Amino acid sequence: MRPELLVRPSSLAHLWKTLPSLPRDRRYLAGGTDLMIAASHGHAGDCWVDISGLKELRSFRETPSSLFIGSGLTISALAEMPAVKKWLPALALAAPHYASPSLRNMATIGGNAANGSPCADGVCALCSEKASIVLLLKGVKRKLPLPAFFLGPKRTALRKDELILGFEVPKWRHVSAYEKLGPRSYFGISKVSVCVSAEISGGVVKETVISCASVAPVPLMARKAAEFLYGRRLDEGTISEAAALAESEASPITDTRSEAGYRKAMVRVLAARALAKIAAA
Amino acid sequence: MEKLSFVGKSLPRKDAEIKATGKALYSADLDFPGMLHAAAVRNPRPRIKISGISDAAAKKISGYRALVTYKDLRGPNKWPLVDTDYPFLPEGEARFEGETVALVVADSHRAARAAAQAAAIKYKELPFETDPLKSLEKGAVKLYGQDNVFAKFFIRKGDAKKALAGAAYTVEGEFTTNYQVHAYLETQGAIAVPQPDGGLVVYTTTQCPFYVLDAVAAACGLPYNKVKIIQTVTGGGFGGKEDVPALVASHAALCALKTGRPVRLIYDRTEDFRSMSKRHPSWSRVTYGADKNGRITSCVVKYVLDAGAYSTLSPIVLWRGTVHAAGPYRIENVLIETYAAATNKVPAGAFRGFGQPQISFAQESLIDELAAKAGKDPVDFRLHNLLGPGDATATGQVLTSSCGLRELVEAVRGKSGWDKWAETGFRRVEGNKARGLGVSAAYYGVGLGARGRCLDRAGALVNIYKDASVTVNVGNTEMGQGALTVLAQIAAETLNAPYESVRVEEVDSTKVPDSGPTVASRTTLMSGNAIIEAAKPIRDNLFRTALDLLKEKGADIAGMMQAADGVFSIADHRVTFGEVVKECWSRRLKMCEEGWYAAPRTTYDMKDGQGDAYVTYSWSADVAEVEVDLETGVLKVMKLWGAFDVGKIINPRLADGQAQGGMLQGMSWAVYENLVYKNGIMANPNFTGYVIATTADKPEYDITFIEKDYEDGPYKAKGMGEVPLIGVAAAVANAVKAASGVRVNSVPLLPEKIWQGMEERKISGGKK
Repeated sequence: MRPELLVRPSSLAHLWKTLPSLPRDRRYLAGGTDLMIAASHGHAGDCWVDISGLKELRSFRETPSSLFIGSGLTISALAEMPAVKKWLPALALAAPHYASPSLRNMATIGGNAANGSPCADGVCALCSEKASIVLLLKGVKRKLPLPAFFLGPKRTALRKDELILGFEVPKWRHVSAYEKLGPRSYFGISKVSVCVSAEISGGVVKETVISCASVAPVPLMARKAAEFLYGRRLDEGTISEAAALAESEASPITDTRSEAGYRKAMVRVLAARALAKIAAA
Repeated sequence: MEKLSFVGKSLPRKDAEIKATGKALYSADLDFPGMLHAAAVRNPRPRIKISGISDAAAKKISGYRALVTYKDLRGPNKWPLVDTDYPFLPEGEARFEGETVALVVADSHRAARAAAQAAAIKYKELPFETDPLKSLEKGAVKLYGQDNVFAKFFIRKGDAKKALAGAAYTVEGEFTTNYQVHAYLETQGAIAVPQPDGGLVVYTTTQCPFYVLDAVAAACGLPYNKVKIIQTVTGGGFGGKEDVPALVASHAALCALKTGRPVRLIYDRTEDFRSMSKRHPSWSRVTYGADKNGRITSCVVKYVLDAGAYSTLSPIVLWRGTVHAAGPYRIENVLIETYAAATNKVPAGAFRGFGQPQISFAQESLIDELAAKAGKDPVDFRLHNLLGPGDATATGQVLTSSCGLRELVEAVRGKSGWDKWAETGFRRVEGNKARGLGVSAAYYGVGLGARGRCLDRAGALVNIYKDASVTVNVGNTEMGQGALTVLAQIAAETLNAPYESVRVEEVDSTKVPDSGPTVASRTTLMSGNAIIEAAKPIRDNLFRTALDLLKEKGADIAGMMQAADGVFSIADHRVTFGEVVKECWSRRLKMCEEGWYAAPRTTYDMKDGQGDAYVTYSWSADVAEVEVDLETGVLKVMKLWGAFDVGKIINPRLADGQAQGGMLQGMSWAVYENLVYKNGIMANPNFTGYVIATTADKPEYDITFIEKDYEDGPYKAKGMGEVPLIGVAAAVANAVKAASGVRVNSVPLLPEKIWQGMEERKISGGKK
């Protein structure tokens, strides 16, 4: 159902000025692709604050050492940016797995995080890119490592009225692989996703980040597997051992989408496939 | 062979333009002055004892008008269907989560929804049962009668158990299938408009306007002649708009009577999931025996449908499943027992295939196992046993010449390269992926058959206006399958009227008599024959008049008159349909007629399940090529070869569409669709959680029609809509077995199940 009240601030300054006058049960509307679903279940509040028009949330900045991605950028816009293709291979690889083309045209990267779901493809990719998330409340900014933003299923570190300004991602020379098991060929919520980003130097792993979706209450960082890989060559034995470690770190549940045992086993299969792709890159 | 002008051609769909351009008016698009909006107050738990319903909180909502409960009924609280156990609105007890307990009416849709949220049902929870097998055990919670059995049927032919004991090869398996949601684009909805004389006009999306008429008249205590049902453009049905629209429309009607205003009741997707009909989940145990030559000698089946909380259409769904349970084979000894069990879940009902796809999956999976035991190729084994003209079915019905099943199986064998695949055991491996090939055969009794014979008749009204435009009214509906088009082709052919001049209208219950439901692939056959009946006397007038006109033009009437493409001619002399109609009118000839077609008698005996069950059968053979990821169990159906004998094809393009749609829907059920109940509550009642196939999952199709004439059919047609769906699941399951070695006995064939099977095979060293 549509909300009782929809407000559309013209700027961030206008937003902060308007908020106190609005009903308490308010939600931000960016792409709307999650909010509309929540609304159809009656869980989306009476007042929507439409931030999709705020230019401040759609910036994209590149510095010598990092990229800043505005939270209001859509998935399809990001997927086409040359800087994303160059510096954020995990995000570029995850984009085609993200819902459907029409949803990618609407959905924002900020909303993907704000929804707080452990299955979010965009978030999973950004976690493996070593992204930080930048939050903003009435002019006050704070920055968290992205994995720390997620507290539990549908629970995030966002405070009342706080919004996501964007993501800061370091530039590092890495290759990535994104492996997803969905319920059908495309347009499905992942049963398991594994994203690996790795910097290989002189044939050995210099740094790896492994993030997994849908196998823990929050986007999961497979840290033991990543640490194990440090300084090693990506041969078959190493890949197999790292994949087994990743599996041991997962704590999936059985729900309407899949089964815990299957998900856990698939972390190993997908991690091994992702690492093999990186080894071959 | 008769030369045909319109039948057998891929003429454009009559409703293509309004649907493609968005001009079509569905139930939710209709508006009436002063119209109010209703919303349902639903049972939140699996089974409750209701002590009251309060609208105290709803009254505070601006625009709130009224609460409607069973107390507002003006007739007995029994929805007249096959049985009458489903009340229009529950009085003491509600029996499944999502059941409508009451309705609220308000000025706006929004206010009605808010009021429905605010209305409070006072209740106590009652013990409930969600497992159909447990429901059938002694000592189960009592939900229906003494034994929780809505219906049971038997087929006894020969001595199946004795034959099994003497068989050279036997196989036995237990199989389960899950729900399927119809997933029609347009959810359920109705608008009831009170009339000055106390009657009602009801607009609704439905396959069965006359079921709606029965229900609205009963609920409102109105004579039938004060209730008019108008079918709105219907956005998909697939069986899901057979029975339940009658309930939705009755609720709208009660709201309209109570408020004296037009009332619109439109379901949202979630409540449609929770409360409307579904394909029955099933459990079955099937046993086959064969002799040393690979002839099937015995078939024993126990088949249980999970009917849900009320009987609705379960008895007839079960009966169809019963008749077809042994599969399309010559078997001397058959023992089939079937049950529809009550549970505290959504009532299941009609869905394309109607009780057959579930048991076809089981028995066709097992036929492959039997072939393997007998050391035969699955296609050869089937060809050795398939039904053909002159053979007797499990019910002892001797088949006529309209049976092309063996040719269908030969067709898919040839086209799929079956024999080449046989060289590698129907398996091809590349890396961590394996492809496999599987086959199945199926049949489908056209029309309602012996169990529904009293409803198996249809009317038609054909009216030619002075300007030579033609209107046809029938009692069966267009729901996307192409009925308006196919029936227009039949009318045009019979009258020799240009196709463009024929318009078939959506059903208005006051124009034609009760024509039964639009189900069971019966519309082309029943309404088609009724149109021909109606058109015949008009045709006689037209043809006689045409001959006179040609004579006046100097034609030699000793020559044969040709009637084709809307023109009548002898040699070079010709008159058009328009000219002939004009002359008929000037001669005051009757240009409007009614037709009526009743299905021939069937001889089936319910006691032993022997006799003719259906007037005729449509036939199908499927081959599926699948790819299984050997590490993840992920399954993709790559290609489906389907061959069908549905009699004469009236419109090849539409037939192809029906075949593709049926195969895709069958594949989606077989591979993806998984509705989940947790403790009596539906856990994924939406398209976010309930997965259906998309265009990206669509396999490649290869479709063959082999037209075996059915002499009693309109232009020798049978029925098309359902048979393409039935055999797909088994063909896919057999292909999965070939690819992965895993026999999955449960639909949907989720990757989790295939992977589990592969893991077990690893442990057992490939023996499982």
